[in-house]
Amino acid sequence: MSTRPLHAVESLADDLRAWLPAQRWFAAKGRDLTDVRVERAEVLSSGEPTLVHALLDVDGELYQVFIGVRYQLPEHLNGSLIGRIGESYAYEAAHDPELMAGLLDLLATSADTGSLHWRPEPGISLVTGLRARPIGVEQSNTSIVYGYHYILKLFRRPTPGANRDVDLHRALASAGSTQVAAPVATVEDDDCVLGFAQRYLGDAAEGWATATASVRDLLAEGDLHAREVGGDFAGEASRLGAAVAQVHADLAEELGTQVDHDVDAGVAEMHARLDAVLAEVPALAEHERTLREAFDAVRAVSAMPVQHIHGDLHLGQVLRTTAGWVLIDFEGEPASAPRERVRMRSPLRDVAGMLRSFDYAALHLLAGDEPDNQRLTRAAEWADRNRSAFCDGYATVGEDPRADAALLRAFELDKAVYEVAYEHRNRPDWVPIPLAAIRRAPGIP
Amino acid sequence: MTVQDSTAPDAALGLAGIPHTGEGVTADGHLTEPQAEDFHHARSAPPDPRWYKSAVFYEVLVRAFNDSDGNGTGDLRGLADKLDYLQWLGIDCLWLPPFYASPLRDGGYDISDFRAVLPEFGTVDDFGYLLDQAHKRGIRVITDLVLNHTSDAHPWFQESRQHPDGPYGDYYVWSDTDDRYSDARIIFVDTETSNWTYDPVRGQFYWHRFFSHQPDLNYENPEVQEAMLDVLRFWLDIGIDGFRLDAVPYLFEEEGTNCENLPRTHEFLKRCRKVVDDEYPGRVLLAEANQWPADVVEYFGDQGVGGDECHMAFHFPLMPRIFMAVRRESRFPISEILAQTPSIPSGAQWGIFLRNHDELTLEMVTDEERDYMYAEYAKDPRMKANIGIRRRLAPLLDNDRNQQELFTALLLSLPGSPVLYYGDEIGMGDNIWLGDRDAVRTPMQWSPDRNAGFSRCDPGRLYLPTIADPVYGFQAVNVESAMNNTSSLLHWTRRMLQVRTEHPAFGHGDFTELGSSNPSVLAYLRRHEGDVVICVNNLSRFPQPVELHLSEHDGCVPVELTGGVRFPAIGELPYLLTLPGHGFYWFQITQPHEEGEPQ
Repeated sequence: MSTRPLHAVESLADDLRAWLPAQRWFAAKGRDLTDVRVERAEVLSSGEPTLVHALLDVDGELYQVFIGVRYQLPEHLNGSLIGRIGESYAYEAAHDPELMAGLLDLLATSADTGSLHWRPEPGISLVTGLRARPIGVEQSNTSIVYGYHYILKLFRRPTPGANRDVDLHRALASAGSTQVAAPVATVEDDDCVLGFAQRYLGDAAEGWATATASVRDLLAEGDLHAREVGGDFAGEASRLGAAVAQVHADLAEELGTQVDHDVDAGVAEMHARLDAVLAEVPALAEHERTLREAFDAVRAVSAMPVQHIHGDLHLGQVLRTTAGWVLIDFEGEPASAPRERVRMRSPLRDVAGMLRSFDYAALHLLAGDEPDNQRLTRAAEWADRNRSAFCDGYATVGEDPRADAALLRAFELDKAVYEVAYEHRNRPDWVPIPLAAIRRAPGIP
Repeated sequence: MTVQDSTAPDAALGLAGIPHTGEGVTADGHLTEPQAEDFHHARSAPPDPRWYKSAVFYEVLVRAFNDSDGNGTGDLRGLADKLDYLQWLGIDCLWLPPFYASPLRDGGYDISDFRAVLPEFGTVDDFGYLLDQAHKRGIRVITDLVLNHTSDAHPWFQESRQHPDGPYGDYYVWSDTDDRYSDARIIFVDTETSNWTYDPVRGQFYWHRFFSHQPDLNYENPEVQEAMLDVLRFWLDIGIDGFRLDAVPYLFEEEGTNCENLPRTHEFLKRCRKVVDDEYPGRVLLAEANQWPADVVEYFGDQGVGGDECHMAFHFPLMPRIFMAVRRESRFPISEILAQTPSIPSGAQWGIFLRNHDELTLEMVTDEERDYMYAEYAKDPRMKANIGIRRRLAPLLDNDRNQQELFTALLLSLPGSPVLYYGDEIGMGDNIWLGDRDAVRTPMQWSPDRNAGFSRCDPGRLYLPTIADPVYGFQAVNVESAMNNTSSLLHWTRRMLQVRTEHPAFGHGDFTELGSSNPSVLAYLRRHEGDVVICVNNLSRFPQPVELHLSEHDGCVPVELTGGVRFPAIGELPYLLTLPGHGFYWFQITQPHEEGEPQ
């Protein structure tokens, strides 16, 4: 390949324009790309195969790509082809264990490659020579697992400035938290964090899978109550609540708390989000009054304690390990702007997110089915049981979240409104899930 | 001096005319005791110093297995007559709960003569015959031995209370007051109010950690230590293959401690081990200490020398967690306890079990988990006993064949030597209407004939009634019909034991849990030198997919162990398996080679 990587990647621009929209982590799906410019490209390792790191400016958005270059493409990489550079094949290198294995060496040796700085966390000595394994599909990142030791998350859309995920993990690690995977290394250039490595929790299972196993167990029974079936989840839900409360306590301890005196601004934002969704989803109209009343009830709160929180907490963001529950991905709500994400917020936002998630876990098996009152009632019973177990567990470490009923209710409904819009666009069959939650919401306390 | 009536319990225990302790007295006042030379010595088992690491144990109650003389109670000769069956099944070692002379106020754990057999079970020579016949078939035999205490009917205790200044005066822990060692907990809180009981004959209090009719031996007295080592030697000379040492944490007392796990207790166990290593290599000591694995490992002794106390110890908390994991359809109850289990010396091994002669003990679970286990597995209050559940495996699992197979597969493949409980291999039931723990101690079901083929006696004379309900009764569930049906649980169990024998990874291998994103699937890898076995278990009743990360074995071929079917080769991508509800796979990981006939 060309000795000048920038030109080599530029020669791929047309191929990239076709290839990028098909990638799961690509944000602007469905829009025609006009402009793919190569901001920067450098060779991380040369030879056969060669690894090129590139930052692309795609219609004004920054993307990070890893491009492998080989004369001969092995069969398992056929699906990763981007295009040709001269006689060679250029392909998505994140799918190539051979090339990804080399990144661990860069981190372990504290390497500098051009403008990239590969750094282990202070006091961490990385084990090298581990097999690299790219894992599944993610919304906005690509992750590589090294042996059973580390997981390296590569941010596909790096943003300049501080990285919330890294900063919050570091704060929690310094608090000695056992509810997060310890940070072990970062990749940065002068502006952005490009990659973040943590200890890999090889024995972990996702909270969503664990919870839905319990729901399946319940729904397979004819008439037993949620507390009577073998797969009861309440014990786990309670431990999860305690873990979340501990993370909140540690974040408050490490990074401080504030008091938000401008609660009305927050209320206005909830109303504004509702306005937008009402315009899009007519089915929501019948609930407008309930929702607005719930939001307005928050105005009675004169001052709201805020702090750094997870920001996008749901059952997919927690892992059950043999040592207990762990929270992952502290990047914040993906839909909000980077500036929004770093704001301190009420910890009840996280609680509300998790409570909504229990509701989803309970009902997702029924989505799209003919409404069956018996099954719906039993699924709702599962949700209620585990929602209150979660709050009970939370209350063993922190304040009982149900003490601020008006706030928690408003946050849950705000989240449900967002869900209605999301489902309306992506999975119309699932719209009834958040709608049912809005319908079932208790009256103003 | 003549031996008084009260020191010669043979009248009450039926030992008249049988060699026993206290038949005579030596010039210095010691009781004469039977010697190993007086009895037949069994032939040796095949030499193999590490046999216990890969052995499959079978717990059998002598009383419950087979009655040779038609008196309604099983006996040693009767057990010996059934050794062909146990050899056919593939058992490596029998574990017999105590068969010593005893007033039977604590299931035989109250021993009144360490050197005589309970007459209804037979004689020391009958035991020698059993050993001889077992060894001929390559089967070993171990039994329980209680080091900590004796029955109050033991002639030692009778001597001790009557002759404080005699040779046995210091054999037990005597005190003028009942306030020493006050930090020691009372174990049987239901029946005992103190660890001290006043003896009106001697006019002093004696120390007992268990029932008041079981006085603790005084290990401060070097003569007691020697006497108990000689008890070990007595049975080892006759040919026994080892002992399960009962209640080991309590041998010594020390003021200001809880009198458990004291350093001098470990010192004495090291002496026991040295006797075995020096004089009887190849025999084993198994510690019974119902404690957390992190504490039990102390009883293996020094890691640096591969262990210098007990060879084996039971892993108590694993068993209830297997039940909990399957009921919850979550691997975490098992994963957690295995993650908390420390490594053990190279010469040591865990003993693991699903059920045994005691209730399914729930001491090693939290209160929340205990409530859960009761709710799930003991729906009738009579199913509960002490802090546990008195049920057999099959009824615990609603007689679900798939679950019985899954549980057995877990037992045979998790780290440790499996201990089967008699009758579970044919799916025997229980009778919760019998008292105490007798629910799970009913006669073995051999055939649909009278008394299940267990005894020729009048049915009313049986020590316990046979199981007679329509599902588990001996008409339906018995060895004879199970042997005639090759798809029976019995045949299945036998095939699994054979597979286990062929793979040293199960007994000797290390253990690595393979994580997966599916919380209902428990997958692990066992490896011993070149033998690599992967076990995948679906704890859910529903079919489940699982992706395993096996790229370390890229290019290798998994071969399913029960059928020898070659599965697709492992590649760089996650290895996808689908399992039926409560299904499991055992694979050997083999190097790829060409299949088919020579080209």
